[in-house]
Amino acid sequence: MVKVELKGVTKRFGDVIAAGDVSLQIEDGEFFTFLGPSGCGKTTTMRMIAGLEYPDEGGVFFDGEDVTNLPSFKRNTGMVFQNYALWPHMKVFENVAYGLRVRKVDGAEVEKRVDEALDLVHLGGLGDRFPSQLSGGQQQRVALARVMVINPSVLLLDEPLSNLDAKLRVEMREEIKDLQRKLGITTIYVTHDQEEAMAVSDRVAIQNHGVIRQVGTPSEIYSFPRDVFIATFIGRGAILEGAASLSDGRPRVDLGGFTVEGVDTVSAVGDGDRVACVMRPESFSVAEPGEPSNRLDGVVEWSSFIGPYREVKLNVGGTTLLVDVPPETETPVGGSLTVYIPVRMTIVLPWDEVK
Amino acid sequence: MGAKEIVRALRRELDAMTVIQLLIAYSILIVFLVIPLVLMVRAAFLYQGKFSFHWFIDILTSPEFISFSPRGGMLFEVRRGTMYIWGNDHGILLNSLIVAFSVTVLCSIIGVVAAMLMGRYRFPGKAVFRVLLLIPLLATPFVNAYVIGKLFSPRGGFINFLLVDTLNILPWRIDIDGLVGVILAQTLSFYPIVFLNVLASLNNIDPSVEEMAENLGAKGLRLFRTITFPLFRPGLAAGAIIVFIFSLEDLGAPVGFSGARGNPLARKLVSFQIFSSFAEALTGTFSPKIAALAVIILFLAVVGFLGVRRYVSRSRYTMLSKGGRWSPRLRTPSVMTRSLIIASLGFLVILASMPQIGTLLMATTNWATSGPVPTEGTTEYLATLTSNPDVSRAIVNSLIYSGAAVLIMVLVGSSVAYIVARRAIPGRSVLDILATIPVAVPGVALAVGYFFLFSSDFFRGSIIDPIVDPALLLIFAYSIRRLPFTVRSVSAGLSQVDKSLEESSLNLGANRPTTFFKIVLPLIIGHILGGAILSFVYSMSEVSTSVTLGALREDRVPITFFISQIVYGMAAVGSVSIGAALCMLLMAVQITAMAISNYVLKQKVAFLGV
Repeated sequence: MVKVELKGVTKRFGDVIAAGDVSLQIEDGEFFTFLGPSGCGKTTTMRMIAGLEYPDEGGVFFDGEDVTNLPSFKRNTGMVFQNYALWPHMKVFENVAYGLRVRKVDGAEVEKRVDEALDLVHLGGLGDRFPSQLSGGQQQRVALARVMVINPSVLLLDEPLSNLDAKLRVEMREEIKDLQRKLGITTIYVTHDQEEAMAVSDRVAIQNHGVIRQVGTPSEIYSFPRDVFIATFIGRGAILEGAASLSDGRPRVDLGGFTVEGVDTVSAVGDGDRVACVMRPESFSVAEPGEPSNRLDGVVEWSSFIGPYREVKLNVGGTTLLVDVPPETETPVGGSLTVYIPVRMTIVLPWDEVK
Repeated sequence: MGAKEIVRALRRELDAMTVIQLLIAYSILIVFLVIPLVLMVRAAFLYQGKFSFHWFIDILTSPEFISFSPRGGMLFEVRRGTMYIWGNDHGILLNSLIVAFSVTVLCSIIGVVAAMLMGRYRFPGKAVFRVLLLIPLLATPFVNAYVIGKLFSPRGGFINFLLVDTLNILPWRIDIDGLVGVILAQTLSFYPIVFLNVLASLNNIDPSVEEMAENLGAKGLRLFRTITFPLFRPGLAAGAIIVFIFSLEDLGAPVGFSGARGNPLARKLVSFQIFSSFAEALTGTFSPKIAALAVIILFLAVVGFLGVRRYVSRSRYTMLSKGGRWSPRLRTPSVMTRSLIIASLGFLVILASMPQIGTLLMATTNWATSGPVPTEGTTEYLATLTSNPDVSRAIVNSLIYSGAAVLIMVLVGSSVAYIVARRAIPGRSVLDILATIPVAVPGVALAVGYFFLFSSDFFRGSIIDPIVDPALLLIFAYSIRRLPFTVRSVSAGLSQVDKSLEESSLNLGANRPTTFFKIVLPLIIGHILGGAILSFVYSMSEVSTSVTLGALREDRVPITFFISQIVYGMAAVGSVSIGAALCMLLMAVQITAMAISNYVLKQKVAFLGV
């Protein structure tokens, strides 16, 4: 198991910047996720860790050792590809045994370790099949077994679940997380699905246009997005534009029809600045909370029963907010509704046009 | 990329296997393709030891080569009850251009019509036509033109026998000969190239784009002109330029036709002039004027080829279509139209397979000497293949040359295809062009180039000097000329192997050679074998270098040289029927190879394109 470090890694494909000065440190045994929209450079960043691409600038370090120009086959990483990349001309057993065979492990040992690896992913007894005879979920497990069998120092997972159906996706991600916890292997995961990222990761890096916008635990990123892009990309709810005025160092935001008091989590808001105000739908309550909060009176525009809660579009002074209320709340369209949001959950960020 | 990055990239990419592949590919391509052609060009531009356009000016100003007023010949002239269709002699160079241009236009018309009928209509017997239309692809070098010459002869030709003597539907006998004879013979053997390219384009058109145009009100000719034609135009251009180049360098038709009829007009073509000048090459000198002539057709062919290649690669519109599988639009026309389609395709098939049918008849009956129709069958000529030592030796020679050439082609071709498809090495596009361009290099030009390099003072008297022994050079000539087939086939295989299959192997600790041999090779072996078989077949029937370089030593001649000698009436072995028997053998080899490639290896036969 190793600690992975990227120092100022930059990779360009023509005019497109796939990785822009990426610097970060992934701890030994950590489950680390690159999350971002498609084309943001997350896969390229991972491929540079695997040695399948080489950075134009900067370096990649495993436990402090410079591996920037080391070819993939000397890095001992185990990568699971998005399309699994199982070799169609080899049976499952041979697919899994491949990494051991190129390492010249002797026959009996290969047999033992391949069987263990297949058992680990619940595929015991399927070694005789060809990949084409397996279901999507089974193919995915073979891909996983194929890299686990060589005891890689880093496990690299490139959108491993994107080809599975929704139910299997949840099942597999839990299995992957379990496996990682059990083996304590440094794992790097790439996905565009925020729920998946939140569910499995110790830490998440959000990438856009090649640049890392924020690194943090899932809850940090969810509750305290560092900029408007992240606030938009993660979670639900409206991002409202307004003008800030500072009182006692606390921002008050004029949102047109009404004003709210919020917190400046990144300490970058000045008096009179254009700002974005982030209010998550689930932060609202219909009863007044026992802490400083903003009271908003509005008219119900639209309401929809989701199950655990009721989603309401609430018009407050001409601005529409998305608000979750308890499912039993009466919310007739056109009726008035009063909701509260704690000041500490009203995030104020410098305004930024999201590209 | 700065110099530092290039060096770093090279250090990473150049592992031992890649270096070996690059060395093999580049050294063979440079020694057997680039240097010979460069030396030929150099010779053409040298006059009295100095750089000069002398030979080109000589050619371009001499009426022997270019004459805008006819210097003889007849075009639709009726004399004493015979309509002579020979074509006019406008000088050797202009004749070649007129012939190549006419053949290209005729093949394009026939090919497009046949492809539209096959690609857009449903009619009975279509599956049969799909096979029959490709019969002309079975090469029967020299004999095909000989058969056409014989069929259209005013004296005892079958066509006149049928239309004039038997049915009485023509007012005069017709005599097709000379340049028109060459045009006819070439058109009938080359139209499938256009047909296949256009048909492939047609099948690639997403039917919804035509349906959309119809939905917006375009119908019939307008739909064809505004949507369908522009979409298959790249396929047409690709097929047409190949036909143009093949016609320009073809020796089969001029030699075959003049062999059948003795009319010198069929010989007034650039390819024939270069061919016949090899007779004097035995003395160890070669006319720079002939080199200049070869440079001119090389230039026309290569420029045309690269131009069309560029055009085609820029206009791959069909790739815009997203998602879904489609089946091409097929209409079921009225009974009347269907009969018309069947009748016209049937006529085309009969006309176009005349050379192959004629070859069979000549090889198995007494048709060569019996007048308009054969009177009795014989196995005498087929028996010659094994009983006549000269004939058997030619067969064995061809088998050895082609077999050795295939080994070289597989080695070079798979290296080139792999490097071009997979490795980020600066200059790989040069390799790509070098491996593709042989399609556009006239064989006679290559032969002249070989003469300038390997009969030079440097190589004089060595084993590779064609005057000493042409065998090695023939092997390399076949390798270079048929290389594009192997490269194309291997590239097609590689494009079906996702890059991630290799990357996962590298990631699991296998180096590049292990990855190549354990992962890539097993996955593309079918394509490599398919390409090898195809290249073997085309090597067996190779004409241009075989009849020029092959002529230089009697015991080293390949099959095609032997056939040319028989057909041209120079061989002492006797009847042209022996040539036909050899062509029958060639056809059998071709049919077997295609069957293996289709049914055993499940490969589509890679056809000619850019």
